[in-house]
Amino acid sequence: MSMSTGMIQDRPPPPRERGPVAWARRNLFRGPVNTVVSLIVGYLVVAAVVGLVRWALDSPAWTQVWDNLKLLAAYRYPSDLLWRPIFAVGTILALMGIGAGAARRRGEGEIAGGVFWWFFGLVAVIAVVALLYWPSVRLPWTLAALAPLAALWLGRTVPAAGRLLGWLWPLGLIFVVFLLVGVGGDGPFRVVRTVEWGGFLLTLVLASVGIVVSFPLGVALALGRRSDLPVIKWFCIAVIELVRGAPLITWLFIASLMVPLLLNTSPDTVPALARALVAVTLFSAAYMAENVRGGLQGVPGGQGEAARALGLSGWQSMRLIVLPQALRSVIPAIVGQSIGLFKDTSLVFIVGLFDFFEIGRRVIPSQPASLQYTGGVLLELSVFMAIVYAFFAYRMSVASRQLEKRLGVGER
Amino acid sequence: MTETPNARPPADAHAPEGGEKIIEMAGLNKWFGDFHVLKDVDMSVNRGEVVVVIGPSGSGKSTLIRCINRLEEHQEGSITVDGTRLTDDVRNIDQIRRETGMVFQQFNLFPHLTVIDNVTLAPIRVRKWKRSKAEERAMYFLEKVGIPEQAKKYPGQLSGGQQQRVAIARALTMEPKVMLFDEPTSALDPEVIGEVLEVMVTLAKEGMTMVVVTHEMGFAREVGDRVIFMDAGQIVEVGPPEHFFENPQHERTRGFLSKIL
Repeated sequence: MSMSTGMIQDRPPPPRERGPVAWARRNLFRGPVNTVVSLIVGYLVVAAVVGLVRWALDSPAWTQVWDNLKLLAAYRYPSDLLWRPIFAVGTILALMGIGAGAARRRGEGEIAGGVFWWFFGLVAVIAVVALLYWPSVRLPWTLAALAPLAALWLGRTVPAAGRLLGWLWPLGLIFVVFLLVGVGGDGPFRVVRTVEWGGFLLTLVLASVGIVVSFPLGVALALGRRSDLPVIKWFCIAVIELVRGAPLITWLFIASLMVPLLLNTSPDTVPALARALVAVTLFSAAYMAENVRGGLQGVPGGQGEAARALGLSGWQSMRLIVLPQALRSVIPAIVGQSIGLFKDTSLVFIVGLFDFFEIGRRVIPSQPASLQYTGGVLLELSVFMAIVYAFFAYRMSVASRQLEKRLGVGER
Repeated sequence: MTETPNARPPADAHAPEGGEKIIEMAGLNKWFGDFHVLKDVDMSVNRGEVVVVIGPSGSGKSTLIRCINRLEEHQEGSITVDGTRLTDDVRNIDQIRRETGMVFQQFNLFPHLTVIDNVTLAPIRVRKWKRSKAEERAMYFLEKVGIPEQAKKYPGQLSGGQQQRVAIARALTMEPKVMLFDEPTSALDPEVIGEVLEVMVTLAKEGMTMVVVTHEMGFAREVGDRVIFMDAGQIVEVGPPEHFFENPQHERTRGFLSKIL
């Protein structure tokens, strides 16, 4: 008989089997139903992978992708000027490199570094392929891969480079615009009109401008919707609801027809690209606004009150206290919206633009009729395009998760 | 005693003569929609005084102190804090908020900022202090509330008692002339209430002007200069704590005290 009134000693938890066999038994073969489901799903997965690999290796039509790469990448952008978009890629990657290096210096570079190395890897692979197969763009791609490495080193070793980033980004982006558009004359800096742009170049321009502009616009609309001033409030509500009320295709049409009408000019004065940009950006901003509004509603009222009680102005309390918390809680929705915008740019063919997807579609009928019915060409190009879209969308989603994790520091 | 519950109470809670009045309220009325939440409130606080406001929930005591820094807007009457009249003028409101610190029931620390950033934010942004000065003052007050070692942590990593002490340090670093406490211990676990009250007692004894809405009668007895009892939006009874707790004059006061003591 034990009458001990002392504390109960801590005991270790019961042992748990380790290793792959135990794991499979626990997770895949626990009970008959579980076992059957595991076997069926396992068979389907193996069959699908084997089929896919066999098709990918057997299929002769990958050359269609390879042969049309220039069209898919840049459409009618003059071949002798391809170094300009390539340098644009290099410039942006270099800016990311300075940012990643500077962040690393401060000891917080996981996300910036991850995004940088991922894009760098892509450019490096292209550069290697260019060195082997594409003599005309060998030099630009090599430079576009090497300059960012130098920029990374610069950001990591020179503190001033990191501090100047706030200036370097806008300057770099202006430089990129000049690179893509050109300056004038007949030489290497001649103007390339946007009707010549296309392919993945166009998709990237649409998506990045759309995302970068629609985010602040969406935040502004969300704040406006909560404004005390009725005029601003009702205006923002009207814009948000109207824009969300119709499909993107409709807005592309309307922008394409209405913008020249409103500006009272001929349709050629405002390039189709600009019209599409307006539509895509506004459309995304309306959704962004509702995401942000959801985040704002999730911030407890006490946060704003505490900020105001400390003497912060309404704008300071919104910018420093409420908005950061609101945005953090809706990162998944914001990134989801950005990924959606990236893929939705494939609708701009409606207004006569030749984006990545449209080129892929157009390339197919230009093949010999015999090939169209063998099932090869359409499939290979579609798979290639899907992989490219998914590649970028996946990286955005990874960055989103990293960002959430990083910003969640200290939260219970 | 012929006092009946519905009789007009002596709704006058003016501070003793001779002191320098830092808060003055006269004929204050406020409605939430149709609900008359503050009725003809007259009250003032002297510099260095500790005024404790008690009363049943829904009696308007939180609303009363939230009117002092305009977290709630009153419809009738006047409020003057440290010579500044509370009007719609944003400059006056900001002026008053700079000089009044507030501590909330739910702490309301900023969860995305570290403790030190919580405390230095307003001094840097509102008082325009240099970061070095703000951090030095912040550490002084974090030491005063007993948790300087938590400065680099986030609020979510702290216990409730620690969070509330950070909130007090955050308000104090602005070097306010008045501190408002809105039920500062009501959301705390019983075992950590003491550590927060201790800080408040120290403050009171150092001469800080304080208006405290609380259910902690021990605190009211120990450091309160005056106790104000509110019920149904009115100030029912006012008095020094010894008089107030030993010999309450009004039926409603007695009823309330008998329930909580």
